Amino acid sequence: MARFVTVAKADSIQTGQMVKVEIDNLPVAVANVGGTFHAFDDTCTHEDCSLADGELVRTVVTCPCHFAEFDIRTGAVLAPPATVPLRVYPVRVQGSDLQVEF
Amino acid sequence: MPTIAIVGASLTGASAAATLREEGFDGRVVLLGAEPQLPYDRPPLSKAYLRGGMPFEKTLLRQPEFYRERSIETRLGTRVVSVDAPQRALELEGGERLEFDSVLIATGGRNRRFPIPGLDLPGVYDLRTVADADRIRDAIARGGRAVVVGMGFIGAEVAASMRQCGLEVVAIEPFKTPLYRALGAEIGAVVEGLHRDHGVDLILGDAVAAFEGVGRVERVVTQNGRRIECDLAVFGLGIEPATEVVAGAGVRIDNGIVVDQLCRTNVPGIFAAGDVANHYHPVCARPMRVEHWQNGVKQGAAAARSMLGRGQPYDEVHWFWSDQYDANIQYAGFHAAWDTVVVRGSLPERKFLAFYLAEGRVESAVAINQGRDLRRTLPIIKARVAVDPSHLADPTVDLRTLAPAERPA
Repeated sequence: MARFVTVAKADSIQTGQMVKVEIDNLPVAVANVGGTFHAFDDTCTHEDCSLADGELVRTVVTCPCHFAEFDIRTGAVLAPPATVPLRVYPVRVQGSDLQVEF
Repeated sequence: MPTIAIVGASLTGASAAATLREEGFDGRVVLLGAEPQLPYDRPPLSKAYLRGGMPFEKTLLRQPEFYRERSIETRLGTRVVSVDAPQRALELEGGERLEFDSVLIATGGRNRRFPIPGLDLPGVYDLRTVADADRIRDAIARGGRAVVVGMGFIGAEVAASMRQCGLEVVAIEPFKTPLYRALGAEIGAVVEGLHRDHGVDLILGDAVAAFEGVGRVERVVTQNGRRIECDLAVFGLGIEPATEVVAGAGVRIDNGIVVDQLCRTNVPGIFAAGDVANHYHPVCARPMRVEHWQNGVKQGAAAARSMLGRGQPYDEVHWFWSDQYDANIQYAGFHAAWDTVVVRGSLPERKFLAFYLAEGRVESAVAINQGRDLRRTLPIIKARVAVDPSHLADPTVDLRTLAPAERPA
């Protein structure tokens, strides 16, 4: 059953920054875009690369390996070579904790 | 109803067809390909697909319904013999004619073959299509020792894949490092180390004289007199642009089909894009022909818009990747000559970005496992301005601060 998992302190991720966390051994990326947090699978749907090592420009993440692009709000593919959307997760801030629904 | 024909159903052609519909073109779109498959992605053919971990369906660029839903007619397994420019018609193998209002030539290239004795022996392979990859895959499954001839990007990827499959690999390269022409000696040596560390027996400064064997390749003989016993051989000696379809059409051909920055040939109604197109690049102010995946996608789309009268000068910074073992190699830029190489990061750890400078400007860059920084280099390359090399070398300097702000579109 889905539950909220604390992954970090909310103030530990600066705006424009992505961090990689692990939930149940699955790598998840959390990004701060102007104070709004987004969580998504850290592994690109194209090949095995960490999106948190990529580039974040506003709500668009670019994979470092082959430059596939995703909208981190919806997971939609914005540029190939990825063709499969990215899984995204709800995020909330509880007190100082950043929590991802997983 | 106006008809746009696309000759070549691979990455460039598929990108063009999709773009025509995205742009609202509601005439007929006919995508013709000599291979029997729907457009598929070629990069996996030397990597995941070759190693056997990836089903063919995963390489399809789009699923069949994509073409159906957009009324993109696919004519696969169909060879186009010639373009009749005055009549604006394609002549297909078997005699059929297909009239068009405009045509995009996206025929790509074919593997270069040299008159090397024994090149046609069974067990000697080259790689361009999925059919080629299937043959090599079967040979890999039989195991043994493989000889790779030519350590350019395809050769290097095939060598890596075969090592990952447990084969013994001997690679022969005439230059003094792998990827020497693209990367130069210093960075080429890093790639040499990568392959040696993974067990490739790399023979540099030598070339193939002959493939020998009775009924099947049994050994490769080099110009320096080495005799290398083997079970299979794969050669990667580059491609030549497949221009023959426009041979009689009055289209200018010079290292591919010559097009302007709007993908137009000198013949009205005939456009070209992708590996086959020698395109004028407005940033570098010279023509160039590249064989990169990204160019196939982007120039195919640019050509489609141009065919609809909405073209913008095609000025992408060319970029490509090559995955070998655990190394993600990326290259961006214009393959020009350089006078200085500046390294940010560590060559021995194979985690770095190297900039190739000419007269103080960054002409191109290569990265290993440093894709984010490479992406941040693209605007610097495009800007064509001098950059302080000490800033390039200093990993604490954010590369995004080094390019002048892009002008608003």
